[in-house]
Formats: sequence, C-alpha cells, structure tokens
Amino acid sequence: MKFKAYITDHGVNLLEKRFLPALDKMGKTCHLYLTRDHTFFLHNLLNGDGIQSIAQFKKESLFEEYRISSQNDDKIAFSIDLSLLHRALRSILNIYVEFSGHGGGGGVGGVAAASNNRIQIKLVKKLPAHSQQAMPFLTFETKGYKSAVIQDVPISKPLSRADMAELQSVLDTAQEMPRTLVRLKDMNQIEQFVDRMKHVGEVINVSISKYGDLHLQISTSLITLGAEFRKLLVLGEQAAEVLNGGNLSAQTRTQMAIQRGDAMMVQVSVKHFFKSLQCHLAKPDCAFYGISSHGSCLTVIFQFFVPGTRQTDKSISLHCRLPVLDPGSN
Amino acid sequence: MSSSAIDADGDAPDLVCQLDNVQGIVDALTSVRWKRHQDAVLEISEHGVVLIVEESSCLQAKVYLQKELFVRYEYSAEGRPRFGVSLGLFVDCLNTFSVPGNSTSIEIRYPGPDMQLLLKSVDSLDACIYAEVRTRIPDTISWDYNFEPAGSTPLSFTVKSAALKEVIDDLEWPGSSIKITLQPVPPSVTFRGEGHGDLQIDFMYYANTDLLISFSCDRQISYRYKYKFLRATTSNIPGSVIRDNRGSKLTIGGGGMLKVQHLVSVARPSTSHTHIDSAGYQQPSRIAYIEFFVKPEVDDNTVND
Repeated sequence: MKFKAYITDHGVNLLEKRFLPALDKMGKTCHLYLTRDHTFFLHNLLNGDGIQSIAQFKKESLFEEYRISSQNDDKIAFSIDLSLLHRALRSILNIYVEFSGHGGGGGVGGVAAASNNRIQIKLVKKLPAHSQQAMPFLTFETKGYKSAVIQDVPISKPLSRADMAELQSVLDTAQEMPRTLVRLKDMNQIEQFVDRMKHVGEVINVSISKYGDLHLQISTSLITLGAEFRKLLVLGEQAAEVLNGGNLSAQTRTQMAIQRGDAMMVQVSVKHFFKSLQCHLAKPDCAFYGISSHGSCLTVIFQFFVPGTRQTDKSISLHCRLPVLDPGSN
Repeated sequence: MSSSAIDADGDAPDLVCQLDNVQGIVDALTSVRWKRHQDAVLEISEHGVVLIVEESSCLQAKVYLQKELFVRYEYSAEGRPRFGVSLGLFVDCLNTFSVPGNSTSIEIRYPGPDMQLLLKSVDSLDACIYAEVRTRIPDTISWDYNFEPAGSTPLSFTVKSAALKEVIDDLEWPGSSIKITLQPVPPSVTFRGEGHGDLQIDFMYYANTDLLISFSCDRQISYRYKYKFLRATTSNIPGSVIRDNRGSKLTIGGGGMLKVQHLVSVARPSTSHTHIDSAGYQQPSRIAYIEFFVKPEVDDNTVND
C-alpha cells in the first residue's frame, strides 16, 4: 500500500484556506479516501445518523506526480483528525512560504516551482516514541530557507477490504440526485436567517417545490418562524405555479403545493442545517437544495465556478446530506 | 398572513402596523431584558404600543413605542387590548428580521386567527420572513406602579447615560443595597453602596455640569434600592444609547419610588449609517421612551425631610 504525491499551490489554497475550515465544522474526524483519480473527504458515511458531507477532488486539482497503489484496486481509505491535518498543513506552509519568499519575494506562486521546492505528502509507517508498534501516519514534508520540516499526522489503520466496499457503496448511494433542485444564489441571506433562528427551536421544516420555492420553518408551541425564498431556478422536475398563489401566506402556499404533489417537506435538525451552512467557508458560488425521492434526506449541493467564469468547476464537488427526522419522534 | 385572508372574516384586526427600523425596536426592547425568561405584556392603543415587564412587585419597566415610530399604524380596536408574550422569544424573533446593513421593513398584525401576533417582512416579493408568536392572556395583577410626584418641586436629575451606567456598574462590588441621596445645598447626588465594603460616588451639580445635565431638588432626600433592581435599569441599555449619550433622567416620587428614563433612537436606517447628526439631534418622533420604576427598600433609617 503506497501513496505519495506533491501538493500543488492550488491544492494548498483549496485545502488550507477553504475546505479544511469548512470540513472541520462538519465533524472532527473524517475518512480520507484516495483512489486512482480522486480524493474524497467523507463525514459520517459509515457511522450513523450525523450529517453526511462529501467533498470530492480530481487528483489534478490537489496534487501532481500522484502515485497510489494498493491491493484493493489502488484504493486507500483511513480516518483522520481534520484539525491536526489543518495544523500540520499550516505549519508546513509557513516554512514553504518562507523559502519561496526568499527566492524573490513572489509568494507562493511560480517562484517555488522555479526553486524546485515542493510539499510532499505520503503515507508512512513509523515507530512512535515509547512504542513497540509501528503506526500509520500521513506525512508532509518540505524545506525552508534554513530548515526542513516534516509533519506526521496520525491516522487510523487503513480500512479493510470489507469496510472499503461498504464505504464505496454508501458513497454511490450518496451520489443519488434529488429529482428537483432549487438554486440559492444569495447564501448569506439564509445563513444570517438560520443563525438567528437557531435559538428558537431544534427542528426545522424544509419544503421545496417544483416551481422554485424553498420554505424553511421552525415551529414550537410558542412561536412559528419561517422564511420563504421564491422563484428560484429549478433543476430537474418542474411544475408551473398555480395562479394567484402570490396572495396566499407562505404556509398555505406550501401546504397546497404538497397536497398537489408539487412540493415535498422534510424535518431536519436545526443543528445539522446550521452545520451545512458552514460549508460556505469553502467559498462555493451557489447552493442547490433538494429532497431525495423518498424523503429520506435533505441534500445540499454546493457549486463552484472556475475562477473568473460562470462555468462549473467540475474538478471540485461538495455536498451534504442531512438525515431526516422521524416526524413521529417529536 | 395576507390581507385578503383576514378580511374574509369580516373583522379588521386590532392592529396592523409597519416598521422600517427593526434594529431600533430590538435595541429598545433589549434594554428591559434583564434576565433570560421574562413575561411581558403588550398594550396597544391609538397612541402606540407599550411593552411592560415586571419583577417581584419591586421593579417594572415600560417601553413606549409611539405610533410615530411606525411607517403605518392602523388601530381599530375598542378599549386597549392587552396580551402577554415571552419577551426573550419576541426579541429573538424580531432580531431574525433585522439584517445588518440592510433596511428591513416588517408588518406586525394582531390578532391572528389563533390570537397570535403575526409578523412578516415586506421588502421583497421573492424572499419573505414571517413569524407567529403565541400570546397569553395577561395576569390580572395590577401593572400600575402609580408614580406620583414627591411634592411641588420635582426631585429629579439628568445624568449622561454612559456615566449612569458606569456608576451603577462600579457599585457592584459593595453590592446589596444602594442609597441615593439628593441634596439642594450644595446641589449634588450621591450614590452609596454599603455591603462587603463602602463605595460612595458623588455628582456635584456645579462641578460637573457636563455629567449632571440638570438637577431639581428643594430638600434633602435619600432612599435605598436593591442593587440588582438598580442594575437592571442600565445593564442592557443598547450601545447606541451610550454612544448618543444623551442623558437619562432619574426622578424620585412619592414613597421613594425611583423612575429612570432612557431615550432610544429609532432613526430611519437610511440616515443612520451615512450621516450622524453631530448635535445628536433626532426628530422626537423617532425616539422610543423607556421607563423603569424601582420601589425603595423598606428601611427605618431612611432620612426623609
């Protein structure tokens, strides 16, 4: 089982500034899953009822000279502590930038490449101090102007063949698309709203209609608080809005749409919903919301544009799946 | 709730009003939020909305939101409807509507079909926030503290709000009860805390006219007040009041009842960011009035007359 690569400057930026801060909010540890072509950061896929988040990168968007081999179809997966990973990367980066800066003051850009300084990442087994048993680590290595630095991030034992097969199958299920997706461009608005409404209750009702309404509602015995975003762009199954719907209240409109089969509603935990909004730290350009076909989860898909364009950057993807609460359990 | 749905019942709601500065109202209401769970009573009339909170029959606060603060104020009830809400929930709920850097207009309606208080944003057709707050039938206890003047000359002084807050914060360490003394010669106000230790703070009228803005007193008078109630009168006054630093007026009425009045600006959002009047001038109509009533401690040693 071998993995060795060099992290590109783009990859460093993506991970250090954007994805690791976001993923860290999803949960302390995640599975890092490496295949011949892709790198995945996976939260809560194998265990339980938390929010699932799936971040997927084409290997070229993070690495160069990417080499991986394993007896399991060249796939490797293990769990890793994200805050340790983030700290190790930052530490490596300090030294790396120092060297690059000395080479001409150009920062992380081409100077580093010119000076042939790179950040290497590889899987190793090492004997930790005061231990008889070799442990697996994800190791980062680079050199600075006067020093070199190696950071070993402890990881779990690689997943067994059986666990890996399960991870892959859950991952395949998790890629299933909801039939209707609505696009939210102004993500600040929803973030501010949920940030303020999260004190009010613990369960949030989310309904999504085929004509582009996203309706959030928290309801307790004392208060009902809701927000409705209308006329959003719809992907997938659509329906024409019923005339005069605009005069009705948000609740009535949603109820009618559900009765007609033009909308679906699920209940999710406010905590999970708020967590999913933390993905904004990864700086997506917009978000799509959808409910899976049997109402089993709420899916939020974040879209990233190729910088400076309105074209989807297909080398990066990030989406969350929020488990639906059993309506009877309240 | 849309207007057509309400009108179908044939009855106009008691109140339909519209606000363009939610943050100002949140500030005003927050200033009377001295603990986590508080029941408040709202009274609506043709003049505006009054919110009343009370504690242990010793402390009462009122926030007056005159109808001039509202962009639209349609009152059509008989009598003066009163209802109870949870203050914390109401403020949290209003806060949801207030988006920093954005002027938000909201419509408030009472009662809803189930006697709720209904709120909704009215800025945009494509994004709407709404809330329904459950109301209670208020307790029948007397909410009136019957503040009466102590004599022909009012016993009162006005002090810069920031200074008042600082004084009361400083009096925390002696704790327990605080004696407030007003005396005409030399004209001064004294706050004295006696507890774990003694701390006395004097405001001399002629020495610091910039702190003590006005003073009226024809005889020496002093009363003790429980520190925790006194603290409630300034502990949550919003930053905007401290920044405006207009002045808070304290009046001692019959029986030693202390009245503390603050003014909270509910300026139009459009002017508040770009241009702040250097003189701190606000149209009187854009001010929310806040009054606290604190009953004195029953104390044999009270020096009176």
